[in-house]
Amino acid sequence: MSLNKVEGRQLVKRFGRTRALAGVNVELRAGEVTIIEGTNGSGKSTLLSLLSLIAKPSSGHLRFDNRKVRASDRSRISVLSHEPMLYADLDASQNIDFFAKLVAAKKERRDSLYERFRIQELDGRPVRSLSRGQKQRVALSRALLSMPALLLLDEPSTGLDEASVELLRDVILEEKERGAVVAVVTHSDSFASEIADQRVRLHRGKRVEA
Amino acid sequence: MSFSAATRSALLIAKKDLAIEAKTKDITVATSYFAGLVTVISALSFYMDTSSAAKIAPGVLWVATAFSGLMTVTRSWAREREMNAMRALLMAPISRASIFFGKSLSSIVFLLIIECVLVPLVGLFFHVDISVLPAVAVFVLLGVVGFAFAGTLFGTLSVRSSARDLTLSVVIFPLITPALLGGVAACRELFHGAPLADLQGWGQILLAYDLMMAIAGWLLFDLLVSE
Repeated sequence: MSLNKVEGRQLVKRFGRTRALAGVNVELRAGEVTIIEGTNGSGKSTLLSLLSLIAKPSSGHLRFDNRKVRASDRSRISVLSHEPMLYADLDASQNIDFFAKLVAAKKERRDSLYERFRIQELDGRPVRSLSRGQKQRVALSRALLSMPALLLLDEPSTGLDEASVELLRDVILEEKERGAVVAVVTHSDSFASEIADQRVRLHRGKRVEA
Repeated sequence: MSFSAATRSALLIAKKDLAIEAKTKDITVATSYFAGLVTVISALSFYMDTSSAAKIAPGVLWVATAFSGLMTVTRSWAREREMNAMRALLMAPISRASIFFGKSLSSIVFLLIIECVLVPLVGLFFHVDISVLPAVAVFVLLGVVGFAFAGTLFGTLSVRSSARDLTLSVVIFPLITPALLGGVAACRELFHGAPLADLQGWGQILLAYDLMMAIAGWLLFDLLVSE
């Protein structure tokens, strides 16, 4: 289920009378990390929503390996954001077990992520009570369960301490080495420069020179 | 996605909701307490003899059911909204209909637990003949199923809208009117001694409503959760 190229052509997204994206072209390739940057309200998160197939473009088209995207392509995509996208009342293992069953992840994959992110030591407490860095470890495990061909990260380093940012950077580079298409929305220039292969800069919904 | 895979996903989502509730108990306990309070306050307010009690009891039962139902679906969706877990659910390679049916199933279970407290309480405080309670339970079950489908379908609006509870209340109460009317009317007749066989019409209305809401959820849920 690998993916070589994700291509967005003339992507426009309107919310009522507001145009969040105004004809953006992007091309993301396997084994590369693309940084999507820009000021608040420039359309970065909207672009990520389109790439994740959560939202549909108002016009323009999105293609995976030169063909139109399908609903079934959702199985190839994973999203990690500054919000952990977990169930606050469940503990780390319960969250991971639930999502592992939902995405039909193999037991070996789940076990290796348990070990990689030391999930067991977070058990017994609801995720709500974990620190930001601990929540991010659980969220990373969730995001990587399906071995995504397209990994989208929306401001993943926000509020993390140095050790957690380092872990995050290592994971992104590992995913890149594995051959995944990786896109990261970030405000942190230092974090971006450590991992970037390509930069896409947005301003008021349009792509500008990076 | 095959029917069996969709069923499996729906059951998984319902099981997850039940696991959260087993830990927190904040839907069943808080809402049962609320429903009990409505019953007790109503019983104390409407000082009554046995005859007038039977006239008031259906209204109290279904008013408590309606507000308990609203609290249940609101809280159930709040769990999906917190930490944006809903997005991970929507990203999963499962049919959107299985999310709808999974969430509906857990809401049905929560509401039935609440009704297990509410129906005997109404029976006790409003001097209802105990022999009619099994028949009341049938109509409550039909009403609860319809409410859960409607509440789950339009509860998605509470995930996306900033005026969450207001949106849900404004949308849901007009929509559940057929279920409420059917339930109130059927229970009114039962409390006045009508045999169950005479109330098939109300049962059919409630059943048709349940079926209509299930189909509406199956068809519209994807549309309501898409951006």
